[in-house]
Amino acid sequence: MIAYVMGVMPFLWQGLLVTLAVSGLVVASSLVTGVLCGIGLVYGRWWISWPIRIYSDILRGTPLIVLIFLIIYGLPLLGVDFGNYGSAVIALAAFKTAHVAEIARGAIQSIHFGQTDAGKAIGLTFRQRLQYVIMPQAVRRFLPPWINAVADAVKGSALVSLAGIVDLTLAVQQVIGRTYDPLPMYLLGAAMYFIINYSLSLTSRRLEARFAYIRE
Amino acid sequence: MSERPRETSARRDFLKIGGLGLAAGIAAAGTLNAQKAAAQSAPASVLRTVLSRGKLIVGTGSTNAPWHFENDKGELTGMDIAVARILAAGLFGAGRDAKEDLSKIEFVKQDPASRIPNITTGKVDIVIQFMTVSPARAQLVAFSRPYYVEGVAILTSSKGKFKTHKELIDAGRNAKASVLQNVDADQLVARGLPQAQVMQLDTQANAIQALDSGRSDAAVIDLSTVGWLVKRNPDKYLDSGFHYDTQLYSAAMRQGDPDWLQWVDTCLNVAMHGHQTQIYDAAFEEFFASQPPRRVPGFPKI
Repeated sequence: MIAYVMGVMPFLWQGLLVTLAVSGLVVASSLVTGVLCGIGLVYGRWWISWPIRIYSDILRGTPLIVLIFLIIYGLPLLGVDFGNYGSAVIALAAFKTAHVAEIARGAIQSIHFGQTDAGKAIGLTFRQRLQYVIMPQAVRRFLPPWINAVADAVKGSALVSLAGIVDLTLAVQQVIGRTYDPLPMYLLGAAMYFIINYSLSLTSRRLEARFAYIRE
Repeated sequence: MSERPRETSARRDFLKIGGLGLAAGIAAAGTLNAQKAAAQSAPASVLRTVLSRGKLIVGTGSTNAPWHFENDKGELTGMDIAVARILAAGLFGAGRDAKEDLSKIEFVKQDPASRIPNITTGKVDIVIQFMTVSPARAQLVAFSRPYYVEGVAILTSSKGKFKTHKELIDAGRNAKASVLQNVDADQLVARGLPQAQVMQLDTQANAIQALDSGRSDAAVIDLSTVGWLVKRNPDKYLDSGFHYDTQLYSAAMRQGDPDWLQWVDTCLNVAMHGHQTQIYDAAFEEFFASQPPRRVPGFPKI
């Protein structure tokens, strides 16, 4: 068993790094764009919030695989080509942005408007209200669903294998393609994805504990 | 009142400007079309692009032995890769050793579903990925001459009850055959084993897995895969000896580039029938465990 795992690990190692890199890029970029979009959804004027609403509804209602192929094969027809790796990362990040925006919107809206009123009453500006009143409370409600979304992004990154990018999934398939022995490889692949995602959810629990304070 | 005429004339001027714009637009469109036509009448062939680039961009896969897969050292190899090597050797005059040829190729790994899109969007110069020639596909891409005729064969296990095609036929309904799920998978099995029970599975690897675990007595799979498995595991697998159904495997290119297509065909003809058959023959023996027929001088059989 251990000998088997050790024997195939060199072939999976590079793929694992690609999976981690793709997931990391997608999570980081969608966190920034998603939270900004979420704030825009809640506080933006109509010309900010409507486009975000339309974007978010369309992206969340489109299968991810369709979006990936659209960016890989559709954009080059218009003269824009990010390459397969870039296209796949952009597609995943665009998709995740829509989800994170909704998570952020929910987290912000769940903070009672009395908090905003209180902030206004003591003369805080909009930025200060966000920074000191709303966000510290919203973060706690944002974290659990966001970690779910991150785990989803890690699993969703397996779709880049269809674009010919050798991530963990394609690396597993490459070994199967040589040995014609699928079962142990699928189990090993599943175990590796599980280890990544389980350590994410452990991190999540620690983060939640860290932010579960109430400042007196 | 004196304002009126001026207003009218201003409006007329505006219309005139509009008319001028329209005329200019039509003229511009005319030149554009002419430019386009000129570009279409003498397109730059991929052949020239590849030669000046010094590298051939080949679309292929990495998950199907013996066609395109990673060997124990993690290097891409297989019959498709050998064909790419033949082209690189022909293009850049190498051919002395595999490393030198392969250094002139950039492989773009792709899913089989991406074979045609990657050609039409120009992401690759050529696709060499066990692509079956069909009239429907030939409407979208240009196919080279075939470099292999794939068939169907019946793999059996050395531990199984039935080993040869005759034993399987004699077993009748008692024989179970696993096969890759497909619209005509039942008929496919029936053409080889008319009475056998059919077990359809989602991948070819799982069809073989069923044979390993004893859930089926025979796996109906590609002839090339049978050759590969029997060569790799002679004490585990057997070729039951019956081969049937044919399909042509060709390289595929963009349409509308006769120079490139003609060059690829010429290069493959020389590599399969001419004086430079070393790479093809070595790959044929390595991946299919058999040898191409001896070439006979005299009347050309191609």
